[in-house]
Amino acid sequence: MSTNPHSAGRSGLELSKFRNLPVILIVAGAIGAGLGVAASGKGVTQFAFSWLLAFMFALSLCMGGLFLVIVHHLFDASWSVPTRRLCEHLACLLAPTMLILFLPIAILAKTIYPWMRLTNPDHAVQSKYPLFTTPGYYIASAILFGIWWLYSNRLRYWSLRQDETGSADCTRRMRFFAASGVVLFALTLTLAAILWMKGLMSEWYSTMYGVTYFAASIWVTLPTVYVITLILQRTTVLGNLVKEKTYYMLGSLFLAFTVFWAYVNFSQYFIIWNANMPEETFWYVLREKGTWDVVGKYIIIFGHFFIPFVMLLRIDFKLKLATMLPLAAWAWAMHFVDLEFQIMPAVHPNTILTPGLLSDLGCVLLFTGVLMIVFIRSLNRHPLYPLKDPRIAEAMDVYVPPAAEVSVTPQGAK
Amino acid sequence: MAAQPVLDERSLIKVQAPPASLEREPLVGSQHGPGWLSDRIAGVIEGETPGWWKISFAISVTMMTVCFALILYLMSTGVGIWGLQHPVMWGYAIINFVWWIGIGHAGTLISAILFLLRQRWRTSINRAAEAMTIFAVMCAGIFPLIHIGRIWYGWWLFPVPNSNGIWPQFRSPLMWDVFAVSTYFTVSVLFWYMGLIPDLAVMRDRAKTKIRKFSYGLFALGWTGSNRHWSNYEKAYLILAGLSTPLVLSVHSIVSLDFSVSQLPGWHTTIFPPYFVAGAVYSGFGMVLTLLVPLRRMLKLEEIITVRHVELMCKVTLATGSIVGYAYGMEFFIAWYSGNPYERFLFLQNRAADPFILGPLFHVPPAPYWWAFWTMVTCNVVVPQFFWFKKVRTSMLAVFFLSILVNVGMWFERFVIVITSLHREFLPSNWGYYGPTWVDILQFLGTFGLFFTFFLLFLRYIPLIAIAEVKGVTPQADPHHPLGGAKVGGKH
Repeated sequence: MSTNPHSAGRSGLELSKFRNLPVILIVAGAIGAGLGVAASGKGVTQFAFSWLLAFMFALSLCMGGLFLVIVHHLFDASWSVPTRRLCEHLACLLAPTMLILFLPIAILAKTIYPWMRLTNPDHAVQSKYPLFTTPGYYIASAILFGIWWLYSNRLRYWSLRQDETGSADCTRRMRFFAASGVVLFALTLTLAAILWMKGLMSEWYSTMYGVTYFAASIWVTLPTVYVITLILQRTTVLGNLVKEKTYYMLGSLFLAFTVFWAYVNFSQYFIIWNANMPEETFWYVLREKGTWDVVGKYIIIFGHFFIPFVMLLRIDFKLKLATMLPLAAWAWAMHFVDLEFQIMPAVHPNTILTPGLLSDLGCVLLFTGVLMIVFIRSLNRHPLYPLKDPRIAEAMDVYVPPAAEVSVTPQGAK
Repeated sequence: MAAQPVLDERSLIKVQAPPASLEREPLVGSQHGPGWLSDRIAGVIEGETPGWWKISFAISVTMMTVCFALILYLMSTGVGIWGLQHPVMWGYAIINFVWWIGIGHAGTLISAILFLLRQRWRTSINRAAEAMTIFAVMCAGIFPLIHIGRIWYGWWLFPVPNSNGIWPQFRSPLMWDVFAVSTYFTVSVLFWYMGLIPDLAVMRDRAKTKIRKFSYGLFALGWTGSNRHWSNYEKAYLILAGLSTPLVLSVHSIVSLDFSVSQLPGWHTTIFPPYFVAGAVYSGFGMVLTLLVPLRRMLKLEEIITVRHVELMCKVTLATGSIVGYAYGMEFFIAWYSGNPYERFLFLQNRAADPFILGPLFHVPPAPYWWAFWTMVTCNVVVPQFFWFKKVRTSMLAVFFLSILVNVGMWFERFVIVITSLHREFLPSNWGYYGPTWVDILQFLGTFGLFFTFFLLFLRYIPLIAIAEVKGVTPQADPHHPLGGAKVGGKH
């Protein structure tokens, strides 16, 4: 890995404890996935679904990173300056890393999606032509990755350029990409959720579906960014930049998205339940069978909503490592369970408790390991924060006279 | 892992001032002191009544009188004087109700949600927006009440014992409306009043007549501005903001359920709750812009309600308008995706098919209300996109004109939702065409009279900007600014 240009004359990053973590995750994940697939008795089908679940999990984090970068520029925010570079790296995982990780799904698409196997497509599939055709699926997927690559790459490119030049023009260009990107972000995330996840049961439809995946994605990204920032703050120069308000804002947004996620999911469920139309209710009826009922009624409602909601209400909890670290781990677990609930009834209609669960977990660990390697490589290649962000003085709560520059330590100016 | 900079107390971070073109404009112009702010805001009340105010008030009272006269006509005659006829039994009354409730969303959103999000720019506009909210909800409340026909039985909506042993039907979303709207109204009034207390005390202390001193003093509740008063005030404000926030979201979510829990194509769609909330905020901000853009000039408040405030409100309008656009798109997309013939028919042949492009393209006759649909799309999706441009956001004339289109568009949205889904039933033999009567139209216009009568009275008797709050966002109150005592690099 190359040396960070901003680290000249300083000692190395003390992350030796984590040095082998990505490799451990990859190996453990591969073993878990292998054992799970073997024990499930469903062979390649189990592997394909586990891989899809892990992919959608990782996609949430990358899309969440892209969203945070976009809204940073749109809102012209200052509190998020210290986390912006991290989010840019998260977003850049979308391409080519996630594209490469998508290849098994592309190859095994016929195993995953029942509509692709139909020799005589029914009305539900025919009405979705040309999107729900094999070429349509691949073309749409390619377009999604193309748009994500363009926007994540350009946003980071101009951010890095600004590190060198400090030019206002870079900010304007990032704002341009953020402004056009937010529209495309909404459309592509919706299409991805529909094409890759809702398409598992192509007869079902809900206008809220894209919003629910969006809410879940941002919900899980916020604690992830929180934890990464915390690690870097404690071990790197980022410690001089990150203020309490950054954690407070991340925690507050985490609370807001906890409520938003519950709100959109409840709205979807309630409207479908109340109208009681068979072409809609069957999706939930399937999820009331066996242990899926417990997952839906108890684990998701209490685990995904009530526990984080109650914990995040307190300001001091949002600022404590002792509460936020377990809560972040809890959020990852709950997002995993949520995706199980969305995806897995298609292959395990009666229970979540199958050997396949080991395979799902294994694939998520494997994905995490791979993404960690790429992410850390990006961290080491570039400055840890946007060095010449126009809002950096505000982020640090210091006054800098117009057209001036000051050097700041935790104790004050030099 | 490769070398990275480590945390070191001697580590320096170089901090540059932003380039001149990216400097933030101050929230209060010209760096005036606190005294100037008090004089300027209180001066609106203490000065002579302007001529434009008298003319506007006379027109508003006249319109309000027409509204109440027509309500009397309705009570004496019945809802047959409206344009309602089979199959459209929900007409202007519901459209107007939803529209006014939507307008009433901006105030509490600005006061509560922007407060919790630490958006300091809210301070110049929150008071007027809150007042607007309360008056808009009052206008909204009229319509469901008169829609029941026999207004004197309106109290049956509440779960109180009555002689017939009739109990409200709690399974009906219309009942949920009663509780959601009345709770929202109550909390909004409380929140508004509590924020007023320090300013009422300012008005009391500046009053030159005994009546004024007594009146403002009565409602100022003995406020002295002591540290203890401020401490209690801040706590109460935070609690009310916390209570109001879910209410802002719940009211229009529940209004959306009036439609979405049904099985009617065009109404039954899962995205309705957030879509309605976004639409409500969009229309609410549209109305705030319509009111404040001319007022800031007429009342000479340009240095307190600055161009930056107008720009920021335009951005919220743009964001919420775009969310509404996304929801329109999703409705169309899922109508196509679902393959449901009724949904497809509704969206194409009841709404979108115009006689010029879509109708001929899909070989279908024009939708009866295509003009309403395209007015809605133009005003709610196309119009806010102009706010991407700084030139538009900083042109007060353009913002005023576009904000009126926002209001028009949101009224048409409710018209499209209500009428186009109802006028063609599943049985073609039951199809009909809805048109309002003169009573429908005048009653709707009359509510503007009610709204503006209250708003104009508010302008004359209550500080339209939160004096105490706006002082807190001046450079003098900022410890990180030299006027607030800061030195270069953060040593205070």
